[in-house]
Amino acid sequence: MEKDNLRKEIKDFIIETFLFGDESESLQDSDSFMQTGIIDSTGILEVTGFIEEKYNITIENEEMTPNNLDSVENIVNFIVRKTNG
Amino acid sequence: MKIGDILSHTAATYPDHTAVTHHDKSISYRELQRESEKLAHYLKELSLSEGARVGIFMENSIDYVISYFAVFKAGLVAVPLNTTLSYRQLSYIISDCQAEVLLVHARYQRMLAKFFESQPALKCIISDRILKVKLPHTIMETLPHILEADLSPSDNIDKQTVIKNIDEEIVLQTPRELAAIFYTSGSTGKSKGVMLSHRNLIANTVGTIEYLKLTVQDSVIVILPFYYIYGNSLLLTHVMAGGRLVIDNRFMYAEMILDTMETEKVTGFSGVPSNFMILLNKSTFPQRKFEHLRYFTQAGGAMAPDVIRRLYKLFPHKEIYIMYGQTEASPRVTYLPPELLVDKLGSVGIEVPGVKVKIIKENGEEAATNEVGEIVVGGDSVMMGYWNQPEEQKEVLKNGWLYTGDLAKRDEDGMIFIAGRKKEIIKSGGNRISVKEVEECLLANENIIEAAVLGVKDDVFGEAVKAVIVLKKGYQINLKDIQKYCRQTLAEYKIPRYVEFMDSLPKHKTGKINKLALMEN
Repeated sequence: MEKDNLRKEIKDFIIETFLFGDESESLQDSDSFMQTGIIDSTGILEVTGFIEEKYNITIENEEMTPNNLDSVENIVNFIVRKTNG
Repeated sequence: MKIGDILSHTAATYPDHTAVTHHDKSISYRELQRESEKLAHYLKELSLSEGARVGIFMENSIDYVISYFAVFKAGLVAVPLNTTLSYRQLSYIISDCQAEVLLVHARYQRMLAKFFESQPALKCIISDRILKVKLPHTIMETLPHILEADLSPSDNIDKQTVIKNIDEEIVLQTPRELAAIFYTSGSTGKSKGVMLSHRNLIANTVGTIEYLKLTVQDSVIVILPFYYIYGNSLLLTHVMAGGRLVIDNRFMYAEMILDTMETEKVTGFSGVPSNFMILLNKSTFPQRKFEHLRYFTQAGGAMAPDVIRRLYKLFPHKEIYIMYGQTEASPRVTYLPPELLVDKLGSVGIEVPGVKVKIIKENGEEAATNEVGEIVVGGDSVMMGYWNQPEEQKEVLKNGWLYTGDLAKRDEDGMIFIAGRKKEIIKSGGNRISVKEVEECLLANENIIEAAVLGVKDDVFGEAVKAVIVLKKGYQINLKDIQKYCRQTLAEYKIPRYVEFMDSLPKHKTGKINKLALMEN
């Protein structure tokens, strides 16, 4: 899977869903969702739902960690690991 | 006794016990007392007005707990602020209470920068690190700098502050003097500042410690924000009992919370329905044992009986407390004793010690058994009133009794069952949302002709906000556009999750929107 495309898709989803399309908030790929407060505990379920459906993968409860999900970059790496593994 | 004395008492009794743990940082009661005294000393030197309001705009942290007690120790009034509010709402609250000091975390400075200049009452801003924003007529100080000060007297814990027994005697010795203002959504749409006195908060704290049987051995995982009255109650009860607060703000990654609960060997978990739904459905919670955990508490809106049953089946030997309360009641009103959980499933139980409850019918008479009426609350926990809103206050405070707007009945055993709400308030994920406020926001859009807002059943939030909208002819707009528009004015949790478009809204003969018909749709 092409990382740049993946990054764009994830970022577009986050901006559209949680920033309501407001790109002026200048979301960086490495910005922590938890630190910036962009996403809350129910928002993260929307993110995982999107990833599971779009990339046809299953996210186990144990995989719901910041390492895998707390930034655009972490999500991209997580999807790549899952789809290659 | 005042709230600041709660900490002094515990620091004198258990100076070396850990008061707060936040990841790899901990603070003992002795240190917490010392740090709060230092900040209180600084605040006292600022020449503020008597009873000046101090906004606390911080996430849950050791800083928050130090700041909170420092405000009381300085004889000032705490205004815990919701960190998820839009800057307009925040600006309104700061101006409404005329806060003279703000204690903030620098991570929120982008939000604060938007309204700092329009707050002439602000004399001082204290933050955890230097802020980029500068205000010429406002003192800017950092918390670490203040805490560097050497205040030796505060090291000597006064043994006089030790209280022999935490009981009703303490309540009687507590003044009815304003301690804190908690802003909450009102049914009219305007945020209301709920004024709670030292006596209100201490009375409710004493009653809650009694029914939860909290002791110095207890430690609670804190996932609820302290600015929320339920979180505030965790703070006060545990500090009064000499227990430990284990802060973890990462509930979006539930596994981390569960790990913290196990490694820190917490004895208590307190959550709102959405927390329990996430844990039960989206985490390894059902597979874990939590050997040290003694109890769960749940408040912040009704939790479906099926969810309670699932929780009980998983943890039949843990105490599960289903509770009911309101910010205006400081907040705990009733609790269901855990031994009655199965027999009285769906009930919110009986009165918290020190709290009185009556079920009153529309004609003012007390309801008979199993007859529905409004929950009316009395006792020392009932708020002083609403800040600057005497008319709203008159509607809910009558002869010292609080008319909650919640409808309920009592069964033959005296157990209370909530039956609905009189006021148009949506309870979503532990938050109260004014229907009117969301409707007013929508109607301010020139392309929206009519709007009705409803609470719809939601598995995670309990209720979610739904807007039914009639658009101007020829105009097109989608859910995302509506959400984006609302976001300019409303806090995130108030933004409609669902939108339905109609050509016209069903009406009663009076012309009022028929919400019942909309709900049945």
